Amino acid sequence: MDELYLDNIDEYIHDQNQIVTYKWLSLSLGVHVNLAKQMLYHYLDRCRKDGSKTPLHATYLVSGKCVQNGSLCHKVSVVREDKLEDMKTRMDPTISIHVYSIQKAEIKDSSTLYSTDYDAVRDNLKHCNKYSAIHCAAAVPMSPTELELIQEIQQTSSPEKVSKSGLTGHASVAKANVKKSQGIMGMFANKNTAKNQGSNIEVKLEKKDDAPSVETLESKPAGMASAVNNFFGKPTKKQDKCIKKEAESSAQSSTVESKHPKDAELPSKSDDVKEKALKDSKAKREKKDVRSKSKRPELTDSEDEKTESSNKKKRRRIKKPRSDSSDDDEAAIADSPAKPTTVTTGSPESQVKEESLPTLEVFPEGKKRKRRRVLKSKTSVDEEGCIVTEKVYESESYSENDEVVTSQPKRSVLPVPGKKEEGRKSAKRQASNKSSKQVSIMGFFQKK
Amino acid sequence: MTTLTRQDLNFGQVVADILCEFLEVAIHLILYVREVYPSGIFQKKKKYNVPVQMSCHPELNQYIQDTLHCVKPLIEKNEAEKVVIVIMDKERHPVERFVFEISQPPLLSISSETLLSHVEQLLRAVILKISVCDAVLDNNPPGCTFTVLVHTREAATRNMEKIQVIKDFPWMVADEQEVHMQGSRLIPLKTMTSDLVKMQLYVEERAQKTS
Repeated sequence: MDELYLDNIDEYIHDQNQIVTYKWLSLSLGVHVNLAKQMLYHYLDRCRKDGSKTPLHATYLVSGKCVQNGSLCHKVSVVREDKLEDMKTRMDPTISIHVYSIQKAEIKDSSTLYSTDYDAVRDNLKHCNKYSAIHCAAAVPMSPTELELIQEIQQTSSPEKVSKSGLTGHASVAKANVKKSQGIMGMFANKNTAKNQGSNIEVKLEKKDDAPSVETLESKPAGMASAVNNFFGKPTKKQDKCIKKEAESSAQSSTVESKHPKDAELPSKSDDVKEKALKDSKAKREKKDVRSKSKRPELTDSEDEKTESSNKKKRRRIKKPRSDSSDDDEAAIADSPAKPTTVTTGSPESQVKEESLPTLEVFPEGKKRKRRRVLKSKTSVDEEGCIVTEKVYESESYSENDEVVTSQPKRSVLPVPGKKEEGRKSAKRQASNKSSKQVSIMGFFQKK
Repeated sequence: MTTLTRQDLNFGQVVADILCEFLEVAIHLILYVREVYPSGIFQKKKKYNVPVQMSCHPELNQYIQDTLHCVKPLIEKNEAEKVVIVIMDKERHPVERFVFEISQPPLLSISSETLLSHVEQLLRAVILKISVCDAVLDNNPPGCTFTVLVHTREAATRNMEKIQVIKDFPWMVADEQEVHMQGSRLIPLKTMTSDLVKMQLYVEERAQKTS
């Protein structure tokens, strides 16, 4: 063995007053750790034999089996030279002993040994294991292609995990949105041809939860079937595939669901305003109806046997709002006595009724008349030219017997008699149609 | 490379903070290594990413902190030339003097983001040298005490007498006996050169410690 290393170690220890550990020596000289340990041992042995004046202190690393706390364990410890023999006796068998460090000063605690190796390892961080005796055949650096693959996998898996964790929270919201979009789409299927662009995604939304509901929509009358088939023409063949795809990629669809139901709602609102010139209160009524519709298919999702009944229910419900909305419009117009909106011709029957009504006015004196506040809707023309319906509380006088008479003072104010007739007709219709719904407002028209 | 003057970036304050932190660690380590106080009051703490021995005794810690609190303004203005930790025997004769010579460059040249990590590395090396100074120093007699002296430039001490930095913690002009040591030998420990500060650590040891 070359003797130069001994001079190097001597220089480190005596001239620089440095702690020379085997790890620091192997990194400094570029030799294997086992060779560094041997170097230190040889140097220490030579110094002890030469009897140099300056005393050297050494630390040793001892490893072996020992009993600690009642259990057999493999212990590895760094001990000072004066405690080496004591540690050897405790271990049985002693597997390995080697010189850990040599220094001039006596080590009081292990922090100096750690500090010595810290900077040496930090400076050689990328190849600190180059001279190490610890190896693992499986620990091989990955190639750049493998690294890219792993990064891609991590990127795809991390958003799925995030979405799946939020899926349970969003599932209920997504279902409601799906139902809304379905109900609204069913109402305006004839007109919303532009929605074909998103039809595939919307179909997926529907397919996810509403396999039976899709079938119900398809079985609608021919007028709507063509429009409906525009939505479901392609996916009808791919229903099974879509359902399977839905099961696999549920996370992606949940994010899409949150967006598209909103898009579906907007055109429905705009259609309401354009067609019937209604205010938001009426749009809300329709929404409520739609929501009530949307809730019902949820119940039938899991049960395919009830699809026919749901078909019928859906058909009925889809028609109702249209008729109701139209009736609402006319009733609103009729309810505004102060501001007439449209003029229509009257009928002889209405004239007869009009004549008969004033007779009732003759006898109000003997009967009890009271005043009460009633919520009534008044229509008026806005600055923009839109018809605005407002609900206002008005005080009315009424008698216990004749509630119908209360309408007379207001009707008499109307300058055009035709309007009165129309109002009564509409009131009748409204009463008949709304008797099942809003009893509070039109209750006093029911007796007719 | 950006070159700035001392006034920029509050340069003095940065150097003062770093140095005072370092001096606190160094004083604790000197007291531990030179066995001024029993090793039982010390416990390992982490500084500059390495374990260091710091005292747990509250009065001792408070004394060291107050001392450095008063020294900080001097370092900020670059008026402190040396900070000396004097270890004295029972007769109050100094046996060892750990001298930290401090000089700050007039122009600060910031080379890169690694400036502070480089300074940390240098300070870590100084700490390590203090840990092994046992090898070059003789043992101290029992019952030693310590004190901190600050050598200032020009007339900075006059300002210190006027302004009490900490209440009930007065600074006095040191005795000649404490400042100069007879028959001492100089043992250099470590020299540190960085862009922020230059520091030299050496020990003045009395030839005969035990009288």
